[in-house]
Amino acid sequence: MLEVIAIYLGQALIAIGVFCDLIAAIGLLRFPNFYLRLHAATVGTIGGAFVPLIGAALLAIGSTYLGAYRWFIAGGALVTAIIVLILAPAGSHALARAAHRSRAAVVEPKVVDYLEEDEVSKSG
Amino acid sequence: MRRLLGLLVIVLFITLFALVIASGGLGYEVPPLRVRELARQFLIYAYNPFNTTFTAKSPEAVTSIVWDFRGLDTLFETLVFYLAIIGALSLYRGVESERRTEVISLGLSPIVKTVTKVTTGIIIAVAASIALHGHLTPGGGFQGGATAAVAPLLILIVFSKYFLENLGLRKNVLLALRSIGLLGIGMTAFSALIVGLMANSPAYVFQNQPKPDAPVGLPAYIGDSLISGTLWFFNFFEMFAVAAGFTVIFLLLGIPEGEILKQLKEEAEEH
Repeated sequence: MLEVIAIYLGQALIAIGVFCDLIAAIGLLRFPNFYLRLHAATVGTIGGAFVPLIGAALLAIGSTYLGAYRWFIAGGALVTAIIVLILAPAGSHALARAAHRSRAAVVEPKVVDYLEEDEVSKSG
Repeated sequence: MRRLLGLLVIVLFITLFALVIASGGLGYEVPPLRVRELARQFLIYAYNPFNTTFTAKSPEAVTSIVWDFRGLDTLFETLVFYLAIIGALSLYRGVESERRTEVISLGLSPIVKTVTKVTTGIIIAVAASIALHGHLTPGGGFQGGATAAVAPLLILIVFSKYFLENLGLRKNVLLALRSIGLLGIGMTAFSALIVGLMANSPAYVFQNQPKPDAPVGLPAYIGDSLISGTLWFFNFFEMFAVAAGFTVIFLLLGIPEGEILKQLKEEAEEH
Protein backbone atom coordinates (compact mmCIF):
# COMPACT_ATOMS: atom_id res chain seq x y z
CA MET A 1 0.00 0.00 0.00
CA LEU A 2 2.79 2.37 1.00
CA GLU A 3 4.63 1.45 -2.21
CA VAL A 4 1.60 2.37 -4.34
CA ILE A 5 1.37 5.75 -2.60
CA ALA A 6 5.11 6.33 -3.19
CA ILE A 7 4.71 5.49 -6.89
CA TYR A 8 1.74 7.82 -7.40
CA LEU A 9 3.44 10.61 -5.44
CA GLY A 10 6.63 10.13 -7.43
CA GLN A 11 4.76 10.23 -10.74
CA ALA A 12 2.93 13.39 -9.63
CA LEU A 13 6.25 15.08 -8.76
CA ILE A 14 7.75 14.08 -12.12
CA ALA A 15 4.65 15.50 -13.86
CA ILE A 16 5.17 18.77 -11.95
CA GLY A 17 8.79 18.68 -13.12
CA VAL A 18 7.76 18.29 -16.76
CA PHE A 19 5.37 21.24 -16.39
CA CYS A 20 8.08 23.39 -14.78
CA ASP A 21 10.59 22.50 -17.51
CA LEU A 22 8.09 23.48 -20.19
CA ILE A 23 7.35 26.79 -18.44
CA ALA A 24 11.08 27.43 -18.02
CA ALA A 25 11.78 26.74 -21.70
CA ILE A 26 9.00 29.11 -22.80
CA GLY A 27 10.25 31.71 -20.32
CA LEU A 28 13.84 31.47 -21.57
CA LEU A 29 12.61 32.11 -25.11
CA ARG A 30 10.08 34.84 -24.38
CA PHE A 31 11.30 36.89 -21.39
CA PRO A 32 12.74 40.28 -22.38
CA ASN A 33 15.84 40.73 -20.15
CA PHE A 34 18.66 38.79 -18.50
CA TYR A 35 17.26 38.76 -14.94
CA LEU A 36 13.83 37.50 -16.00
CA ARG A 37 15.42 34.78 -18.12
CA LEU A 38 17.59 33.83 -15.12
CA HIS A 39 14.39 33.50 -13.12
CA ALA A 40 12.99 31.18 -15.79
CA ALA A 41 16.22 29.15 -15.73
CA THR A 42 15.94 28.66 -11.95
CA VAL A 43 12.35 27.50 -12.40
CA GLY A 44 13.87 24.90 -14.70
CA THR A 45 16.53 23.80 -12.18
CA ILE A 46 14.47 23.72 -8.98
CA GLY A 47 11.01 22.91 -10.35
CA GLY A 48 12.31 20.95 -13.31
CA ALA A 49 15.27 19.08 -11.76
CA PHE A 50 15.00 19.05 -7.96
CA VAL A 51 11.30 18.14 -7.80
CA PRO A 52 11.38 15.30 -10.40
CA LEU A 53 14.56 13.91 -8.77
CA ILE A 54 12.65 13.58 -5.49
CA GLY A 55 9.88 12.00 -7.57
CA ALA A 56 12.37 9.54 -9.10
CA ALA A 57 13.58 8.62 -5.60
CA LEU A 58 9.99 7.93 -4.48
CA LEU A 59 9.32 5.98 -7.68
CA ALA A 60 12.40 3.83 -7.05
CA ILE A 61 11.34 3.20 -3.43
CA GLY A 62 7.91 2.10 -4.67
CA SER A 63 9.34 -0.29 -7.30
CA THR A 64 9.66 -3.40 -5.10
CA TYR A 65 10.63 -5.62 -8.05
CA LEU A 66 14.08 -3.93 -8.04
CA GLY A 67 14.87 -5.59 -4.70
CA ALA A 68 17.61 -4.01 -2.61
CA TYR A 69 18.88 -1.99 -5.59
CA ARG A 70 15.94 0.41 -5.33
CA TRP A 71 17.57 1.93 -2.23
CA PHE A 72 20.75 2.65 -4.24
CA ILE A 73 18.71 4.38 -6.96
CA ALA A 74 16.65 6.30 -4.41
CA GLY A 75 19.77 7.34 -2.48
CA GLY A 76 21.53 8.50 -5.63
CA ALA A 77 18.51 10.51 -6.75
CA LEU A 78 18.09 12.06 -3.30
CA VAL A 79 21.77 13.09 -3.01
CA THR A 80 21.69 14.56 -6.53
CA ALA A 81 18.49 16.43 -5.65
CA ILE A 82 20.05 17.94 -2.52
CA ILE A 83 23.21 18.97 -4.41
CA VAL A 84 21.08 20.61 -7.14
CA LEU A 85 19.06 22.35 -4.42
CA ILE A 86 22.25 23.81 -2.91
CA LEU A 87 24.12 24.64 -6.13
CA ALA A 88 21.42 26.10 -8.40
CA PRO A 89 20.52 29.11 -6.19
CA ALA A 90 24.20 29.84 -5.52
CA GLY A 91 24.96 29.78 -9.23
CA SER A 92 22.06 32.00 -10.23
CA HIS A 93 22.87 34.36 -7.34
CA ALA A 94 26.50 34.67 -8.49
CA LEU A 95 25.38 35.27 -12.10
CA ALA A 96 22.80 37.90 -11.15
CA ARG A 97 25.15 39.69 -8.75
CA ALA A 98 28.02 39.78 -11.24
CA ALA A 99 25.74 40.95 -14.07
CA HIS A 100 24.24 43.72 -11.93
CA ARG A 101 27.51 44.94 -10.39
CA SER A 102 29.34 45.03 -13.71
CA ARG A 103 26.27 46.62 -15.37
CA ALA A 104 26.67 44.07 -18.16
CA ALA A 105 22.94 43.36 -18.29
CA VAL A 106 20.55 46.31 -18.54
CA VAL A 107 17.39 46.12 -16.41
CA GLU A 108 14.94 47.01 -19.14
CA PRO A 109 11.89 46.98 -18.98
CA LYS A 110 12.16 47.95 -15.31
CA VAL A 111 9.42 48.20 -12.68
CA VAL A 112 11.66 48.66 -9.65
CA ASP A 113 15.40 48.14 -8.90
CA TYR A 114 16.12 48.62 -5.20
CA LEU A 115 19.75 47.53 -5.60
CA GLU A 116 20.43 50.31 -8.08
CA GLU A 117 18.66 52.86 -5.85
CA ASP A 118 20.85 51.75 -2.93
CA GLU A 119 24.00 52.17 -4.98
CA VAL A 120 22.92 55.61 -6.21
CA SER A 121 22.07 56.79 -2.69
CA LYS A 122 25.37 55.44 -1.34
CA SER A 123 27.57 57.02 -3.96
CA GLY A 124 26.00 60.39 -3.60
CA MET B 1 23.01 31.49 -49.81
CA ARG B 2 24.81 30.56 -46.55
CA ARG B 3 21.66 28.92 -45.22
CA LEU B 4 21.31 26.96 -48.45
CA LEU B 5 24.92 25.81 -48.15
CA GLY B 6 24.37 24.70 -44.55
CA LEU B 7 21.23 22.82 -45.56
CA LEU B 8 23.12 21.16 -48.41
CA VAL B 9 25.89 20.00 -46.02
CA ILE B 10 23.37 18.58 -43.54
CA VAL B 11 21.40 16.75 -46.26
CA LEU B 12 24.62 15.39 -47.81
CA PHE B 13 25.87 14.21 -44.40
CA ILE B 14 22.61 12.43 -43.60
CA THR B 15 22.48 10.81 -47.06
CA LEU B 16 26.07 9.57 -46.86
CA PHE B 17 25.60 8.34 -43.28
CA ALA B 18 22.44 6.47 -44.28
CA LEU B 19 24.31 4.99 -47.28
CA VAL B 20 27.14 3.79 -45.01
CA ILE B 21 24.72 2.18 -42.56
CA ALA B 22 22.59 0.63 -45.32
CA SER B 23 25.67 -0.91 -46.99
CA GLY B 24 26.69 -2.53 -43.69
CA GLY B 25 29.46 -0.11 -42.68
CA LEU B 26 28.59 -0.55 -39.00
CA GLY B 27 27.59 -4.21 -39.37
CA TYR B 28 24.11 -5.34 -40.26
CA GLU B 29 22.88 -5.36 -36.67
CA VAL B 30 23.28 -2.02 -34.89
CA PRO B 31 24.07 -2.44 -32.05
CA PRO B 32 25.78 -5.74 -32.86
CA LEU B 33 24.24 -8.82 -31.29
CA ARG B 34 27.58 -10.58 -30.93
CA VAL B 35 30.59 -9.36 -28.95
CA ARG B 36 33.56 -8.93 -31.27
CA GLU B 37 36.48 -11.33 -30.89
CA LEU B 38 38.95 -8.72 -29.54
CA ALA B 39 36.43 -7.46 -26.97
CA ARG B 40 35.63 -11.06 -26.00
CA GLN B 41 39.32 -11.77 -25.33
CA PHE B 42 39.63 -8.71 -23.07
CA LEU B 43 36.41 -9.56 -21.22
CA ILE B 44 37.68 -13.10 -20.61
CA TYR B 45 41.15 -12.08 -19.45
CA ALA B 46 40.33 -8.96 -17.38
CA TYR B 47 39.34 -10.98 -14.31
CA ASN B 48 40.09 -14.67 -14.69
CA PRO B 49 41.52 -16.53 -11.68
CA PHE B 50 42.00 -19.70 -13.78
CA ASN B 51 44.12 -18.15 -16.50
CA THR B 52 47.34 -16.94 -14.88
CA THR B 53 49.01 -16.11 -18.21
CA PHE B 54 47.01 -13.03 -19.12
CA THR B 55 44.68 -12.02 -16.30
CA ALA B 56 44.89 -8.57 -14.67
CA LYS B 57 42.60 -9.61 -11.78
CA SER B 58 40.43 -6.52 -12.27
CA PRO B 59 36.73 -6.69 -13.19
CA GLU B 60 37.08 -3.32 -14.97
CA ALA B 61 38.21 -4.19 -18.50
CA VAL B 62 39.23 -0.62 -19.39
CA THR B 63 41.53 -0.21 -16.40
CA SER B 64 43.02 -3.65 -17.07
CA ILE B 65 43.80 -2.63 -20.64
CA VAL B 66 45.05 0.84 -19.74
CA TRP B 67 47.36 -0.01 -16.84
CA ASP B 68 48.20 -3.68 -17.45
CA PHE B 69 47.79 -4.97 -21.01
CA ARG B 70 49.18 -1.76 -22.54
CA GLY B 71 50.73 -0.17 -19.47
CA LEU B 72 53.75 1.22 -21.31
CA ASP B 73 51.49 3.16 -23.71
CA THR B 74 49.73 4.72 -20.76
CA LEU B 75 53.06 5.65 -19.18
CA PHE B 76 54.00 7.52 -22.36
CA GLU B 77 50.58 9.20 -22.44
CA THR B 78 51.18 10.34 -18.87
CA LEU B 79 54.59 11.66 -19.90
CA VAL B 80 53.03 13.66 -22.76
CA PHE B 81 50.66 15.30 -20.28
CA TYR B 82 53.56 16.17 -17.98
CA LEU B 83 55.63 17.52 -20.85
CA ALA B 84 52.76 19.89 -21.66
CA ILE B 85 52.76 21.10 -18.05
CA ILE B 86 56.55 21.42 -18.03
CA GLY B 87 56.26 23.52 -21.19
CA ALA B 88 53.76 25.85 -19.51
CA LEU B 89 55.94 26.09 -16.41
CA SER B 90 59.08 26.97 -18.33
CA LEU B 91 57.08 29.57 -20.26
CA TYR B 92 55.97 31.20 -16.99
CA ARG B 93 59.27 30.95 -15.09
CA GLY B 94 60.24 34.18 -13.42
CA VAL B 95 56.67 35.46 -13.54
CA GLU B 96 55.83 36.01 -9.89
CA SER B 97 52.69 37.68 -8.65
CA GLU B 98 52.48 39.36 -5.26
CA ARG B 99 51.20 37.44 -2.28
CA ARG B 100 48.65 38.65 0.23
CA THR B 101 47.68 37.34 3.65
CA GLU B 102 44.59 39.55 4.11
CA VAL B 103 41.98 37.79 1.96
CA ILE B 104 38.71 37.92 3.91
CA SER B 105 37.18 40.75 1.87
CA LEU B 106 38.07 39.26 -1.52
CA GLY B 107 36.12 36.88 -3.73
CA LEU B 108 32.44 36.41 -4.43
CA SER B 109 29.55 36.92 -2.00
CA PRO B 110 29.19 34.95 1.29
CA ILE B 111 26.36 32.86 -0.22
CA VAL B 112 28.60 31.47 -2.95
CA LYS B 113 31.49 31.04 -0.50
CA THR B 114 29.35 28.96 1.89
CA VAL B 115 28.07 26.73 -0.91
CA THR B 116 31.62 26.27 -2.22
CA LYS B 117 32.80 25.23 1.26
CA VAL B 118 30.14 22.48 1.26
CA THR B 119 30.68 21.29 -2.30
CA THR B 120 34.50 21.29 -2.22
CA GLY B 121 34.43 18.44 0.30
CA ILE B 122 31.91 16.54 -1.82
CA ILE B 123 34.06 16.99 -4.95
CA ILE B 124 37.18 15.67 -3.19
CA ALA B 125 35.21 12.66 -1.88
CA VAL B 126 33.80 11.86 -5.34
CA ALA B 127 37.26 12.25 -6.91
CA ALA B 128 38.81 9.87 -4.38
CA SER B 129 36.01 7.37 -5.01
CA ILE B 130 36.49 7.57 -8.81
CA ALA B 131 40.25 7.07 -8.54
CA LEU B 132 40.45 4.46 -5.76
CA HIS B 133 37.63 2.36 -7.25
CA GLY B 134 39.15 2.69 -10.73
CA HIS B 135 39.89 -1.04 -10.86
CA LEU B 136 36.29 -1.96 -9.89
CA THR B 137 34.04 0.60 -11.61
CA PRO B 138 34.47 2.91 -14.63
CA GLY B 139 36.90 5.68 -13.80
CA GLY B 140 40.53 5.70 -12.82
CA GLY B 141 43.45 7.87 -11.83
CA PHE B 142 43.23 10.47 -14.60
CA GLN B 143 39.48 10.93 -14.23
CA GLY B 144 39.71 11.10 -10.44
CA GLY B 145 42.56 13.59 -10.61
CA ALA B 146 40.73 15.78 -13.13
CA THR B 147 37.67 15.75 -10.84
CA ALA B 148 39.80 16.60 -7.81
CA ALA B 149 41.34 19.55 -9.69
CA VAL B 150 37.87 21.14 -9.91
CA ALA B 151 37.98 21.82 -6.15
CA PRO B 152 41.03 24.15 -6.22
CA LEU B 153 39.65 25.74 -9.42
CA LEU B 154 36.40 26.58 -7.57
CA ILE B 155 38.38 27.99 -4.63
CA LEU B 156 40.50 30.00 -7.06
CA ILE B 157 37.42 31.61 -8.61
CA VAL B 158 35.16 31.95 -5.56
CA PHE B 159 37.66 32.88 -2.84
CA SER B 160 40.55 34.38 -4.91
CA LYS B 161 44.03 33.26 -5.89
CA TYR B 162 45.56 34.63 -2.69
CA PHE B 163 43.31 32.38 -0.59
CA LEU B 164 44.39 29.27 -2.53
CA GLU B 165 48.04 30.20 -2.09
CA ASN B 166 47.54 30.83 1.62
CA LEU B 167 46.03 27.35 1.92
CA GLY B 168 49.49 26.04 1.01
CA LEU B 169 48.64 25.13 -2.58
CA ARG B 170 51.53 27.14 -3.99
CA LYS B 171 53.34 26.35 -7.21
CA ASN B 172 56.32 24.61 -5.60
CA VAL B 173 54.15 22.51 -3.25
CA LEU B 174 52.03 21.35 -6.19
CA LEU B 175 55.12 20.59 -8.25
CA ALA B 176 56.46 18.46 -5.39
CA LEU B 177 53.11 16.64 -5.14
CA ARG B 178 53.13 16.05 -8.89
CA SER B 179 56.68 14.71 -8.75
CA ILE B 180 55.75 12.36 -5.90
CA GLY B 181 52.87 11.08 -8.01
CA LEU B 182 55.14 10.52 -11.02
CA LEU B 183 57.75 8.82 -8.82
CA GLY B 184 55.03 6.57 -7.42
CA ILE B 185 53.96 5.57 -10.94
CA GLY B 186 57.58 4.77 -11.81
CA MET B 187 58.12 2.80 -8.62
CA THR B 188 54.91 0.83 -9.21
CA ALA B 189 56.04 0.00 -12.74
CA PHE B 190 59.31 -1.41 -11.37
CA SER B 191 57.85 -2.96 -8.18
CA ALA B 192 57.52 -6.52 -9.49
CA LEU B 193 61.01 -6.33 -11.00
CA ILE B 194 62.53 -5.14 -7.71
CA VAL B 195 60.76 -7.94 -5.80
CA GLY B 196 61.95 -10.42 -8.45
CA LEU B 197 65.56 -9.24 -8.19
CA MET B 198 65.49 -9.60 -4.41
CA ALA B 199 63.84 -13.04 -4.59
CA ASN B 200 66.24 -14.05 -7.36
CA SER B 201 63.42 -14.95 -9.76
CA PRO B 202 62.60 -13.71 -13.26
CA ALA B 203 60.26 -10.70 -13.45
CA TYR B 204 59.14 -8.06 -15.93
CA VAL B 205 58.87 -4.29 -15.92
CA PHE B 206 55.15 -3.36 -15.68
CA GLN B 207 54.35 -6.83 -14.38
CA ASN B 208 51.11 -7.01 -12.39
CA GLN B 209 50.05 -10.57 -11.58
CA PRO B 210 52.39 -13.61 -11.38
CA LYS B 211 53.01 -15.20 -14.78
CA PRO B 212 53.95 -18.84 -15.50
CA ASP B 213 57.57 -17.92 -16.28
CA ALA B 214 57.80 -15.11 -13.70
CA PRO B 215 56.22 -16.26 -10.46
CA VAL B 216 56.53 -12.94 -8.56
CA GLY B 217 53.82 -10.28 -8.74
CA LEU B 218 51.75 -7.99 -6.63
CA PRO B 219 48.91 -9.44 -4.54
CA ALA B 220 45.45 -9.11 -6.07
CA TYR B 221 43.80 -8.99 -2.65
CA ILE B 222 44.74 -7.22 0.58
CA GLY B 223 42.62 -8.89 3.21
CA ASP B 224 39.26 -9.32 1.51
CA SER B 225 39.59 -6.17 -0.61
CA LEU B 226 40.39 -6.55 -4.30
CA ILE B 227 43.17 -4.12 -5.25
CA SER B 228 44.20 -5.84 -8.53
CA GLY B 229 47.92 -5.71 -7.82
CA THR B 230 49.56 -2.66 -9.42
CA LEU B 231 46.33 -1.16 -10.77
CA TRP B 232 45.25 0.39 -7.45
CA PHE B 233 48.68 1.97 -6.94
CA PHE B 234 48.81 3.31 -10.50
CA ASN B 235 45.39 4.91 -10.04
CA PHE B 236 46.32 6.31 -6.62
CA PHE B 237 49.54 8.00 -7.78
CA GLU B 238 48.05 9.12 -11.10
CA MET B 239 45.29 10.91 -9.20
CA PHE B 240 47.82 12.99 -7.23
CA ALA B 241 49.96 13.70 -10.27
CA VAL B 242 47.02 14.77 -12.47
CA ALA B 243 45.26 16.83 -9.78
CA ALA B 244 48.48 18.68 -8.91
CA GLY B 245 49.36 19.18 -12.59
CA PHE B 246 45.98 20.69 -13.47
CA THR B 247 46.04 22.90 -10.35
CA VAL B 248 49.47 24.26 -11.31
CA ILE B 249 48.09 25.24 -14.72
CA PHE B 250 45.03 26.88 -13.15
CA LEU B 251 47.31 28.82 -10.78
CA LEU B 252 49.48 29.98 -13.68
CA LEU B 253 46.51 31.04 -15.80
CA GLY B 254 44.68 32.71 -12.91
CA ILE B 255 45.41 36.43 -12.62
CA PRO B 256 45.12 37.84 -9.08
CA GLU B 257 42.29 40.36 -8.78
CA GLY B 258 44.59 42.87 -7.05
CA GLU B 259 46.61 43.31 -10.22
CA ILE B 260 43.50 43.59 -12.40
CA LEU B 261 42.04 46.27 -10.12
CA LYS B 262 45.32 48.19 -10.20
CA GLN B 263 45.37 48.02 -13.99
CA LEU B 264 41.74 49.14 -14.25
CA LYS B 265 42.39 52.06 -11.89
CA GLU B 266 45.40 53.22 -13.90
CA GLU B 267 43.40 53.07 -17.11
CA ALA B 268 40.56 55.04 -15.52
CA GLU B 269 43.00 57.73 -14.37
CA GLU B 270 44.49 58.06 -17.83
CA HIS B 271 41.12 58.95 -19.33
